[in-house]
Amino acid sequence: MLNSGSRIWPIATNTVREAIRHRLLYTLLFFAVTMIGFSVLIASLSYVEGERIIQDVGLASIRLFSVGIAIFVGIGLIHGEVERRTIYTILAKPVTRSEFLLGKFLGLLLTVWLQLCLMAIAFVAVSMLVGAGLDLGYAAAMLLVGVELMVIVAVATLFSSFTTPMLAAFFTLGIYALGHLSRDLYSLGQASDAPAVKQVATLLYRVLPDLESFNLSIQAVHGVAISGAEVGWAALYGFAYSIALLILASFIFHRRDLE
Amino acid sequence: MSHPTTTDDSREIVRVDAIVKDFRPGLGLRAKRVLHGVSFAVREGEIYGFVGPNGAGKTTTLKVLMGLIRPTSGNATILDCDVTETGFREHIGFLPENPYFYPFLTAEEILRFYARLSGVGGRDRDRRVHALIELVGLGHARRERLSTYSKGMLQRVGIAQALIHDPKVVFLDEPMSGLDPIGRKDIRDIILRLKSEGKTVFMNTHILNDVEMICDRVAIIVKGRIRHEGPIREFLNEEAMRSDIVLAHLAPEVAEQLGAKFSARVQTVGEQVEVQVMDGQVRDLLESALAAGAEVLSLSPNRISLEKIFLEAVEQGEQADGSSAAERGAPAC
Repeated sequence: MLNSGSRIWPIATNTVREAIRHRLLYTLLFFAVTMIGFSVLIASLSYVEGERIIQDVGLASIRLFSVGIAIFVGIGLIHGEVERRTIYTILAKPVTRSEFLLGKFLGLLLTVWLQLCLMAIAFVAVSMLVGAGLDLGYAAAMLLVGVELMVIVAVATLFSSFTTPMLAAFFTLGIYALGHLSRDLYSLGQASDAPAVKQVATLLYRVLPDLESFNLSIQAVHGVAISGAEVGWAALYGFAYSIALLILASFIFHRRDLE
Repeated sequence: MSHPTTTDDSREIVRVDAIVKDFRPGLGLRAKRVLHGVSFAVREGEIYGFVGPNGAGKTTTLKVLMGLIRPTSGNATILDCDVTETGFREHIGFLPENPYFYPFLTAEEILRFYARLSGVGGRDRDRRVHALIELVGLGHARRERLSTYSKGMLQRVGIAQALIHDPKVVFLDEPMSGLDPIGRKDIRDIILRLKSEGKTVFMNTHILNDVEMICDRVAIIVKGRIRHEGPIREFLNEEAMRSDIVLAHLAPEVAEQLGAKFSARVQTVGEQVEVQVMDGQVRDLLESALAAGAEVLSLSPNRISLEKIFLEAVEQGEQADGSSAAERGAPAC
């Protein structure tokens, strides 16, 4: 009897292989690295805190392009396999639908993490070039960008498991935007006098991902101390949230007719 | 090549019981029934032909068997396991219709991928990949990307991946599709080889020639209903088991005697004598005719009936569909 890992891993590595042969990913990666380099030019227009501007723009570029890549590849992750019917021969082997889903998720996650590492190397290179300081805060910020990407990939996998790439893109972008606003929505709801508004705001805060908990860019750039616990809890939260999404995706995918 | 024969008491490897499948085209739209209580059984070691026109429900039935879609009601088992389970799949192989594979991989890479998923490891994996690439005749293109492959070559890759883990039961959806005559013969030979190895083969097809040549038993499905099912010889009926022989240099009175002796239909046309005789008596009749100084001009098995039965089944299906539509259209009062 085979164990799950020996079936999930080939699907994951195959997904990485498929992704890294996608030309558009290189274009996005090229733009991201260009933006990090371009931050030097932006900083030269300012008389003050040029190094901070470089790192601020650099980190923002990394977040933006990483999420772009995750959504771009993630929305067609499962749908593409069903549409091209490549899934038929895979599921005819002793592979469960959950294993297939997890393999695809892991493959995309490894791809976006690989791209994140490349962008991080470009960021460190530019920072060193202009003599900007680098400390562990940046490493923590980068780590949590990785965790945020895990949540985004899980969201894209969930929507890709039952809907078209167009709708999956719409929903995933929506969750991404709301995920960054969920704290503000919660605060606004608590400030309201209407109990129903408070309840709805609380419910939304509980259901939507709190993506701002993964945003340590400002603390890193301004040298504000970041505790290990803060990073650890955020990582744990992202991990648990992703697992919950994957369980839901698996539940839906198991019941789906693959026509 | 010796072919193991199946008997009526052979073990049932695939069992389909009253499968009904409804598809809902969209939210709020009425469900469309594509399978109406399909039942059949495939016995160990046989080649089973599942025949029907396009849109009859062949692929839908196969998708139910592969666990890709769930039946609305009824159940199906393979090797005594419910088709919704996955454990037994290490013993089955599947070739979908018009298979499509990751275009960025080579034939070797895709077969290694499927071997890993099937739990074939180490040296055994390399050996199986190599042997199957040679078996399906892709040795010359083994390291070329699948994006450069023709439809026929992809079909061969499809056959190879279905056999990569040496399964006991093989399901083939239109295996001859997209192949030239040589390719079709190659695939027929592979299927017969699988049978000789004791494997069970289930084959969806609408090419009756292939069915006649290699299948042991056949089911005809029309508009989601099984219209006929049975062993191919029984299926072909008496007329189909006759052979046509054309003889020359045979005196008319001798021809008449042979006709009476072997219960054959004899017709003299000019210098030639046309004889239609049951398959079992072809040899004896030929020996008698040759002894009487006749020359054999041609011998052809009469295989027209399967097509006839098939067309009749399609016609019946359409008539039944038409009458049920008329019934539906009748006022409820």
